[in-house]
Amino acid sequence: MTCEELRDQYELYAIGVAEEPERSEIRQHLNRGCEVCMTGMKRAREVGAILGGTAAPAAPSPKLRRRILASAGFEPKHFGWSPFLGLALALSLFAVVYFYGRERDTNGEVARLRGQVREQTIDLTRMNEAFAILTGADTTVTSFGQGQPAPPKGKIFVSRSQGVLLIASNLPPAPSGKAYEMWVIPKGGKPVPAGIFQSESNGTAMHIQRGPVDANADLVAVTVEDQAGAAQPTSQPLFAASVRGLLP
Amino acid sequence: MLLPILLALHAAEDDTELVARMQRRDPQALAELYDRYGRLVYSLILRVVRDTGIAEDLVQETFLRVWNRVAGFDAQKGSMGPWLLAVARNRAIDYLRSAGGRERNSVEFEENDHPALYGDMEKDILSSDKARRVKSAIEKLSPNQRQVIELAYFEGLSQTEMAQRMGQPLGTVKTWVRTALKNLRDELGAVVTA
Repeated sequence: MTCEELRDQYELYAIGVAEEPERSEIRQHLNRGCEVCMTGMKRAREVGAILGGTAAPAAPSPKLRRRILASAGFEPKHFGWSPFLGLALALSLFAVVYFYGRERDTNGEVARLRGQVREQTIDLTRMNEAFAILTGADTTVTSFGQGQPAPPKGKIFVSRSQGVLLIASNLPPAPSGKAYEMWVIPKGGKPVPAGIFQSESNGTAMHIQRGPVDANADLVAVTVEDQAGAAQPTSQPLFAASVRGLLP
Repeated sequence: MLLPILLALHAAEDDTELVARMQRRDPQALAELYDRYGRLVYSLILRVVRDTGIAEDLVQETFLRVWNRVAGFDAQKGSMGPWLLAVARNRAIDYLRSAGGRERNSVEFEENDHPALYGDMEKDILSSDKARRVKSAIEKLSPNQRQVIELAYFEGLSQTEMAQRMGQPLGTVKTWVRTALKNLRDELGAVVTA
């Protein structure tokens, strides 16, 4: 078959649904380095990549990130900031030994120790991410809820290159089955999900959304959503802060 | 519809350094890759398998696969997004086919899993401008054309399988596919070469 006859099949081949005899014919063309078919296949793969991004947005559970890192061997010794991690490890060991030293079940102690170290590692990672935003050369800060007695108060640090850091107080735990979800809202555009989080029992919360921030960002807002997160806000914002004009 | 793409905005420009760190086996780089593309990958896989638990398992498989094969990726020539999406889709379609007792087209899947094939893709293939234009292109398709594209991409059906699923003659389905792809190609031609 000629390249012209195969042209309509490039996209189907690229996504693995081409049928015979076209599939074998395209494979032969590619194997012999046919430039027309290789160019066509490159474009077909690009079309496939763009189509892949058209699925409706959805948010995985927060635990998935931890699961993936653990399965890839995310161990403290792999970090570049090992001195800090070593200190954290030592503190964790001390804390666990101090608080749980009386427990008789040694296996239980070891399990708790490992869990403590893992949590510490995650906390350090979060602090490292927060530090990156706080110290970013392009970081700006805005406050919300100031001057009001009861509503949540706090600050939002926005780094065009690093991401958004939210620090809040007076934020009660979300209702059962619910979570807080942050949104970055561009001017004239739809809210963009920026991660879900929970507050601590004392009403404080810190949430980080890593990654570049849209230069057209107008507002940063927080709503209450289902634990799995939502693609678009389903409730009125609990609070919002204007970041208009803050981004370089 | 376009939010996943928008989440990947500007990420590509930083992929070069990120890939280099992954190739040095820096686990923090894997964490950053997930932060950049995790939601996008999850959205695609969930669209295919329609089960949150299975989708999360497949997202994990996808990132581990990329982590284990990143040595073959030339970061100077392209971004990670298209490759990640291809691997993610393959994992999801492979699951669908296994669950449905269908055979997978191993040759194409193996090719798509190969990172070098995505190395020469332009870095901003997932930019917001292209996202808007692909949305426009898909919206211009007729309902039948849109359905066959979705059945092929999101369910991994061949034209014969589509004809059976839709209860339509194979020739009719082929016409819809051919027309849909031509329209998409015409609309996206400027996008992928812009």
